[in-house]
Amino acid sequence: MPELIPLMVLIPLIAAALTVIFGRQPRLQVAISSTALTATVAISAVQIALIDQNGPAVVAVGGWAAPWGIALVVDRLSAIMLLISAIMLLGVLIYSIGQGVADRHRETPVSIFHPSYLILSAGVFTTFIAGDLFNLYVGFEVLLASSYVLLTLGGTGERIRAGVTYIIVSLVSSLFFLASIALIYGATGTVNMAQLSVRLGELPADVQLVLHVLLLIGFGIKAAVFPLSFWLPDSYPTAPAPVTAVFAGLLTKVGVYALIRTETVLFAGHDLSALFLVIGSLTMIVGILGALAQADIKRLLSFTLVSHIGYMLFGIGLATTLGLAATIYYVVHHITVQTTLFLTTGLIERTGGATSINRLAGLLKASPLVAILFFIPALNLGGIPPFSGFIGKVGLFMAGAAAPSPLVWIGIAAGAITSLLTLYALTRFWNMAFWRGKGELKGYESVLIESLQEAPEAPDASVAVKTRTVPATMLAVTAGMVALTVALTVFAGPLFGIAERAAEDLKTPAFYIDTVFPGGVQ
Amino acid sequence: MIFSLVAVGILAIATPLLTRWLKARVFWLIALAPAALFGITLAQAPGVLAGTPVTETFPWIPQLGIELSFRMDPLALLLALIVTGVGALVLAYCARYFSDDEPGLGRFAALLLAFAGVMYGLVTSDDVIVMFVFWEATSVLSYLLIGHNTGRKSSRGAALQALTVTTFGGLAMLVGIVMLVMASGTTSITEIVANPVGGTLGQVAIVLVLLGALSKSALVPFHFWLPAAMAAPTPVSAYLHAAAMVKAGIYIIARFAPGYADQPLWQPLLVTIGVLTMLVGGWRAMRQYDLKLILAYGTVSQLGFLTIMLGFGTRDAALAGAALLLAHALYKATLFLVVGIIDHATGTRDWRKLSGLGRRMPVLAVIASIAVASMAGLPPLLGFVAKESVFASLLEATSGGAGQSEFWAWFALVGVVLGSVLTVAYSLRFIWGAFSTKADVGAIQLHNTGFGILTAPLVLSLATIGGGVAAGTVDALVAPYADTLPGPHEQHLALWHGFEPALAISAGVLLLGFVLMRRRRQVARLQAKLPQAVDAGREYVQFMRALDRFAAALTTRIQRGGLPAYLAVIIGVFVLGLGLSAALNRSWPEGVVPWDYAVQPFIALVMGMAAIGAAIAGHRMTAVLLVGVTGYGLVLLFAMGGAPDLALTQALVETLTVVVFVLVLRRLPQQIAARNKAVRKGLRAALGILAGTVMAVIAVIALGAREAASISAELPALAAEAHGKNIVNVMLVDIRAWDTMGEIAVLVAVATGVASLVFISGRAAPVERMEGGGERRNRPVLNSSAVSRQTWLLAGRTLSPQNRSIIIEVLVRLLFHPAIIVSIYLLFVGHNQPGGGFAGGLLAGLALVARYLAGGRYELAEAVPIDAGKLLGTGLLLAVGTALSSMFFGLQVLESSWFEASIPVLGEISIGTSTIFDIGVYLVVFGLVLDILRSLGSEVDRQQEDQEDDEEDAEYARPSTSDTNPAKPNQAEGGSR
Repeated sequence: MPELIPLMVLIPLIAAALTVIFGRQPRLQVAISSTALTATVAISAVQIALIDQNGPAVVAVGGWAAPWGIALVVDRLSAIMLLISAIMLLGVLIYSIGQGVADRHRETPVSIFHPSYLILSAGVFTTFIAGDLFNLYVGFEVLLASSYVLLTLGGTGERIRAGVTYIIVSLVSSLFFLASIALIYGATGTVNMAQLSVRLGELPADVQLVLHVLLLIGFGIKAAVFPLSFWLPDSYPTAPAPVTAVFAGLLTKVGVYALIRTETVLFAGHDLSALFLVIGSLTMIVGILGALAQADIKRLLSFTLVSHIGYMLFGIGLATTLGLAATIYYVVHHITVQTTLFLTTGLIERTGGATSINRLAGLLKASPLVAILFFIPALNLGGIPPFSGFIGKVGLFMAGAAAPSPLVWIGIAAGAITSLLTLYALTRFWNMAFWRGKGELKGYESVLIESLQEAPEAPDASVAVKTRTVPATMLAVTAGMVALTVALTVFAGPLFGIAERAAEDLKTPAFYIDTVFPGGVQ
Repeated sequence: MIFSLVAVGILAIATPLLTRWLKARVFWLIALAPAALFGITLAQAPGVLAGTPVTETFPWIPQLGIELSFRMDPLALLLALIVTGVGALVLAYCARYFSDDEPGLGRFAALLLAFAGVMYGLVTSDDVIVMFVFWEATSVLSYLLIGHNTGRKSSRGAALQALTVTTFGGLAMLVGIVMLVMASGTTSITEIVANPVGGTLGQVAIVLVLLGALSKSALVPFHFWLPAAMAAPTPVSAYLHAAAMVKAGIYIIARFAPGYADQPLWQPLLVTIGVLTMLVGGWRAMRQYDLKLILAYGTVSQLGFLTIMLGFGTRDAALAGAALLLAHALYKATLFLVVGIIDHATGTRDWRKLSGLGRRMPVLAVIASIAVASMAGLPPLLGFVAKESVFASLLEATSGGAGQSEFWAWFALVGVVLGSVLTVAYSLRFIWGAFSTKADVGAIQLHNTGFGILTAPLVLSLATIGGGVAAGTVDALVAPYADTLPGPHEQHLALWHGFEPALAISAGVLLLGFVLMRRRRQVARLQAKLPQAVDAGREYVQFMRALDRFAAALTTRIQRGGLPAYLAVIIGVFVLGLGLSAALNRSWPEGVVPWDYAVQPFIALVMGMAAIGAAIAGHRMTAVLLVGVTGYGLVLLFAMGGAPDLALTQALVETLTVVVFVLVLRRLPQQIAARNKAVRKGLRAALGILAGTVMAVIAVIALGAREAASISAELPALAAEAHGKNIVNVMLVDIRAWDTMGEIAVLVAVATGVASLVFISGRAAPVERMEGGGERRNRPVLNSSAVSRQTWLLAGRTLSPQNRSIIIEVLVRLLFHPAIIVSIYLLFVGHNQPGGGFAGGLLAGLALVARYLAGGRYELAEAVPIDAGKLLGTGLLLAVGTALSSMFFGLQVLESSWFEASIPVLGEISIGTSTIFDIGVYLVVFGLVLDILRSLGSEVDRQQEDQEDDEEDAEYARPSTSDTNPAKPNQAEGGSR
């Protein structure tokens, strides 16, 4: 049923239009957006079942055949990405509704939040179904434009400062992306990805190198790849918890998705895998060292986010079916677990009144449930078995051992060290925030970095912390997300199965080309 | 086995709840679980020992070859019996050990039970990855159990240290495991051991696996975490850190020995580390005053001992090692439990404060003596039997067997003898310290502990005796495993072998140990003089500190929090990456056409100069205008390039942009802050110029590489098919309407964002029209202009006379409606001629800008008395609705249908669904302009007026009345931001 594909974008957009029109009725807005995102979850669930069974689906928008018209393509990889991001978007939406109900009129104005959030969803979905490089760019713009709004929600000084960094870096990355589309069109005369797969391969290898590197820089900024990643920990953590959660979970993964497509469809015949392995290792290590230095859990998690992108780069760099399958599994794992951890951070912020270990203590006693909801995903991110982080890691290591080279072994070592240090950083936070008694807090000043270095108004530790009760909805959603992270382990077999089939499709570029051009491409 | 594990898991999850009403009695209940497992395992024993292992398999991740497969073979049986048996007893002990009001009791009980299950899973799993799952689970549970006393910094630190060290080893082991799995093509431990992986890969892999074993079993150099872990409650020490978890490493050594003991590194590595650990542990144990620490270092020492024997690689050594494993579990668990009882009864574990306990707690003293005697190797106990066998097997190996190195046999034997002497010495120290009557120590008040708590240690010491007396049974239990290793089958376990060299060694060891204990003062002096040989604990702390410092230094260096620095890195990567790629390029185009027409380079020059000017401009306004020049340059390029549509749209966008900038600039300082030093400026200029050059060069490369024909050649034909002559418009609203839909979503998002930043609380507030607050707010203005009854613009009178220009008002009055009509015209003819929804919307927006500039914010409200959100929403709804509705007619999404019609003035037009789409675009663009004017224009005006009003109010020192509109309580606050 290819008809389902455009609905993934149309439904959130219609809902966005309605929430803009009914800007003064918050209840109606809540109803509209939750209905719309529930529908996208249902559609993407049906879709993944159909596509896994019947193969990929293509829609020629407006009835215009590719390469002139825009092709929407959903193969297994897209179907996986659509489903997992739809679930995340819905979960975070309900969480933020729960939060908004509790503290109305605070820093999350409903009339702004809902349309922006829905447009963000539409943008994310657009990128995953785009079979056209320019349309991919449009998808990026849609999600970025709405992310600017969400990041600066409430317009506090700190958020505006973070927003400026974020917006300008994003604009620069879009500029590189746009420039590479222009040059690619100039060199090949098309922007259809399937056709590009053929035509780019026909270019001389050195021209391919130029275009390939340019495209990678644009995507690398979005995916927060070292050394293009410095902006991320300075911008994400300032947003409201649910916004950070969805950014951390999804936006960088959109970049990773684009990288996967670049390596498997566009430049399948041009091998830069050594670069990926080197950059992957560096991203892992530098990122996790950054996490070690943080006192604030939001910043700590942002650094682990950057660091773990390295695992995915490593998997892409292996350029084998198993490597890609493990990468896809890791992407799904990482989307879920990072989103969950940021949602839990929102709970910590409410229960403990702060997010820094200089002001947090006694949380285990204060709320054992929050403790469990933090501990399980924290272990998961730290790669402790049997959680999904471990399975993804083992998959990547196995794929690496199956395609050995010195760079691969370095990557595996970097992966193991990163895993250890992630666990260390998170359990250290646990020690301080959850185990330590409140009495020990007095006079405690950690040597770790508290916040953005340039921020003039460093948070004042002497301010009494304000704790608030946690609404049941927020708890329930977070618990559901934690359950989902556990389900990634329980259903690792089927999940890895579809990831492997997706990887097999990706490893045969002709498969993608035939899907879009069943009759062959000029 | 899977069923048992699931059952234990469920019980563990339920335990915290059960604890709520059972309190400490919950331990009796949960002790039944490992007891039942013990029973089941015992029932499986005859078959397993007879050579038919019990196996179970359940699929998990077939793509990676991982399955939940379990296998109860003789080695697994031995460990499973220890784990479940000791587990049941320790849990039962807890019921008496803990009081009902112990904090975190439910959590503790659940974790301890879970640990028993996990440990059982660890020793029975046959899939190496699943084994590793349990392996790490024990680390995590140990972390949580060591940190049980969460309020103590030392126990938190010890927990984290234990976790970090064991996970470090664990990850090394994981890499080793993965190498073994990939090389042998299976995850089954049985097969990996049966068909060992050879070569360099196999050696590296097995060393990595052993690294995990060493860290888990607290062997040198990882031994330091175990004594620190004694911060845990005593039952945890007895179970995890004596009987079960620390045996996991030993288990791995025993498990892989049959396949890998003949690898060249195996024996030297394990024997060396084993001897070192045994001596270091024993030496340290001899200087402890805390009874628990004597046991902890003793455990380290004994783990070294076990490593020597099970890692030695011969059948007889393995037999001795396996017996020793059992003996150690029995006596060490007993001794820990005894210490727990002493601690409970006296409130201390420091033997310098204990005196006369032997007389006052006789039963406990007897139990402890049995265990200590077994530890020291006295007959007729299991420890003696095992040690005899150790000496005999090592002696046998010194004579050299097939492929066995005599050197390592001698080395091991000497090490074991020396270590055993130390063991005897610290055993005596323990029993003497705990139970003797010391003349200079006063008696301590005893708390009644009851007899129930003695059950577990009593059972364990009975087993110690039983194992010694019925050595044949133990032999039957451990021999089947030992038989899987090569070497002569000469040894069997027995209490009495006759007068053999081993017996003489045993006697000698006991004698020497006794002497060492008698001379403890001299020994203590010697110990004080010798430097601490291996103190990896300090190194660990130093290393972690250094790591933290390095991480902080690195992060502060690269993560300066400055946008300019981040951008410099990004652009630097671009310059380097593409500069290099371009330098490597050999496919340059043969000829480059420098320009298409004469004016082109001139336009480019002007644009370039404007861009440079904008970068160095000191005033914001100048910079904005210069940026505008580059935009108009683009308009010219589009126009000359035959794209009137693009030129028109670009011109409108550029004009609007300048207006928006000007609106914003009202609230910003005139000057651009110039904080940068001259050097930085030079660097930045250089980077910018380099980036531009690189971009130009790669453009030449890319555009020169074109071989294939562009798809654009077909476009005129396609446009005709879409009932249009204007290709650009047909592309926008039909062929690539999907892109356009995304772009108008961007516009809606941006409009929302602008409103969000300016209004803070959202743009949902009602439009403020003239008859609302307007007249009140502009009291002075209204009074002075009351004469002008007839006005050109409705809201003109709300402006102060200085701000009014009658000429502009007239012009706007005359032009507004024609402009709107032209914009609608543009909208409808767009399909065939320059125009379209985008340009139309922009023109209408500009008309609105004119009215706002001429008449102020009330004029704007009068001109479009609707909420901008409604326009934006309706526009988006129209466009997306068009896309969706075509699907209901069985067409593709966004597929167009047409209705031909002839309309006066406009002529022959074909109205298609794409036109409706274009109307949506028009509305969104118009709505965006309106929204920007509302936010950046009207709202900023209003905030400024508020501010001025406030200042005025302050001046007149009037009590501040509620001056802000009650519908928007946040505005004053928002304005000040």
